[in-house]
Parts: sequence; structure tokens; C-alpha cells
Amino acid sequence: MKKIFFYLWILLIMSVCSYNLTIHYIPNIVYTVFHYKIEKNQNIKDNEIKHFDIPTDQSRNVVMPNPDFLYSTIFYDLSEKDLNINANMPDSTYWSVSFYKPNTINWFVKNDQEFETNNLDLTLTFNDSKSQGVIKSPVKKGFMIIRILVEKKDQNSIDYYKSHQKSITIN
Amino acid sequence: MKNKVIIPILILLSIIIGGYTAISKINSSTQNNEFSIKNGNWTVNPNMDLKNSYQRAYISRIGVFALDEKEALYFLSSKDNDGDPLTSDFDYQIIGTPPKGRYWSYTLYGEDYFLVKNVANIYTINKENLNIDKPIIVSSSKKDINWLPSGTETKFHITLRVYNPYESVYKNLESLDLPIIKKIEK
Repeated sequence: MKKIFFYLWILLIMSVCSYNLTIHYIPNIVYTVFHYKIEKNQNIKDNEIKHFDIPTDQSRNVVMPNPDFLYSTIFYDLSEKDLNINANMPDSTYWSVSFYKPNTINWFVKNDQEFETNNLDLTLTFNDSKSQGVIKSPVKKGFMIIRILVEKKDQNSIDYYKSHQKSITIN
Repeated sequence: MKNKVIIPILILLSIIIGGYTAISKINSSTQNNEFSIKNGNWTVNPNMDLKNSYQRAYISRIGVFALDEKEALYFLSSKDNDGDPLTSDFDYQIIGTPPKGRYWSYTLYGEDYFLVKNVANIYTINKENLNIDKPIIVSSSKKDINWLPSGTETKFHITLRVYNPYESVYKNLESLDLPIIKKIEK
């Protein structure tokens, strides 16, 4: 009898640990599934940029996509090299650059009004640096999203913003 | 029974019990918007103090890759002004002005948090495409102006996004005057 209570006690303690670990790692699980889906469905690898169309009801990569945005994304890996991000961004709309850790925490965001120019020229590094235009990532691997707002949905506007989206390059 | 058998069983059971309870907790918190700030029938993403594991799990569940409150606010409502769930069985009018910010938009999402399927492929009313002389109508049947299609969703929710909100907005989330969603004749 004593043994049964002992085992139940152990089960309770281990279940509480398992509960806390699951809560803690849910964001990492969400991120890992998202990473896997994008890699598989879009056939892209780390440090490759993917330009997405404006989301529709068919978009199933991530919940609550904003149908007013063109998204460009990169799963970055700074283990071997820094990343240079260059783009000619539009001057007539909201756009932003944001970075996330693999636990989905947003550790950096800067929008068009905070950049001095629309000619984006950033370096993302894991090493210490205080140079202008260099962003130090707290993690070697993470995720970047560049958002471009497309408020008007006429074809000319979409094409115009898409041309800026396509100007985003990584090397 | 020998320990060789009991220990793996205990480990497996604890993973199942702990994992299941944790996921159920986050799902029920998501349904009840436990980690959001409430204002009338709207809830809004809290200050992203993401050291709180529950809050992080919640955010990753309903709005992964969201931005902080200075960059964007996400107001969600799944109920009309009377407290009834939003459904495509009824039409609704959105009355009032969105909080001040650089850009705002209304978007409909289904229960699965994806965009509502509709034949017109209209998903959003925003600051730019709004006709300010006409009301915003949420309906499953076609409207000429300011139409947000609700498709065939039995339940849906409306998200009001505000990008670069004014400081007076993101510092007073609980007391803001927010638009109301009123049920109207179909």
C-alpha cells in the first residue's frame, strides 16, 4: 500500500514537471512546426528569403495573417556567417523589419519612420558590434519578417509594392 | 511489479497527463482570453512581457509573431454588443471610430483563426478603403460598400488592428472608447 502512494506521489511530481515544461516550450513547438511546414511546403532553407503574396483564406502557414501585408521571411542561421539585408523599400507606406527568437519572442522591430532611409542596408550578426546598421542577434538561429503594408488592393498598387518586396535580398 | 516496468510507465503517464493538462489549459485560456486586457466585448494583446510562460504560450497560440504594443495593437471580439457570439446567421454593423494610430483595419477570422472564406475575396476594411459616409457591414450576403463578408462561418471573430497607435491609446487600453458591433436586420 505504501508503495502505491509512493508511486502516485512520484507520478504527481513528474506530471507537474511535464505540465510546466509543456507550457514553457509551447512557443518553441509552434515555431518548430511552422519552420518545418515552410521548409517543406515552400522548399526554402535557412538564410534564404521567401516572399509571400498577400494572404487569402487559403493561407495556412500562420494563424491570423494580416491581408493588408506583403510578408517576406527568413529563417536565419548566423553560425557560420553574418547576414546582409538589402532592399529598396517604398516611401509611401508602412513597412517594418522584425526579428524573433525560436520561442517566438520579438526581440527587434523597426519601422519605416524609424529608419533614416528607404534603402535598407542592415547586417545581422551574432558577434558583438556597435557599428551603424549592424544588429546583434541574441540567438544564432531565429526568424525575420519584413512587412509591407498594401492598403489599396488595385493591381497597380500590388505590383508596385511587390516590386519593392522583390528588391529585398540576403547575402 | 519490478521498477524496470514501473518507472517507464510512470514517465509515460506523467508526460501524457502533464502535456494534456497544459495544452487544455492554454486552449481554455485562449477561448476565455484569460491573458488579454478586456475592454467591453473587445480583448487586446497585453504588454508583451513575455517572461510569463503562460502569456507566451497564449500569444503563440493566437498570434504567433505578433509585435509589441507600440508597434501594433490587436483588438479581438467574438461577441456582438449584446454579448452574443458573432455568426454568419446575422448581419452586424460596426459603429464608432477605431483608436488613433497610423493605420487601422478590421479583419474577420474563423474559429480556426484563419481568414474567412468568401466568394468576393474581401478580407479587410482599412483606413484607406473605407467609405467614411457609409457604415461598415459584416454580412454573408453581398453589400456594395464597406462590406466585410462573413461567409458561412458558424462562429467568427473580428480583429481590429492599429499600427503605431498613439501613446494615449496603448497606455489606456482598458478605458478606450472602442467601436461597438451591433446586430442588425439581415
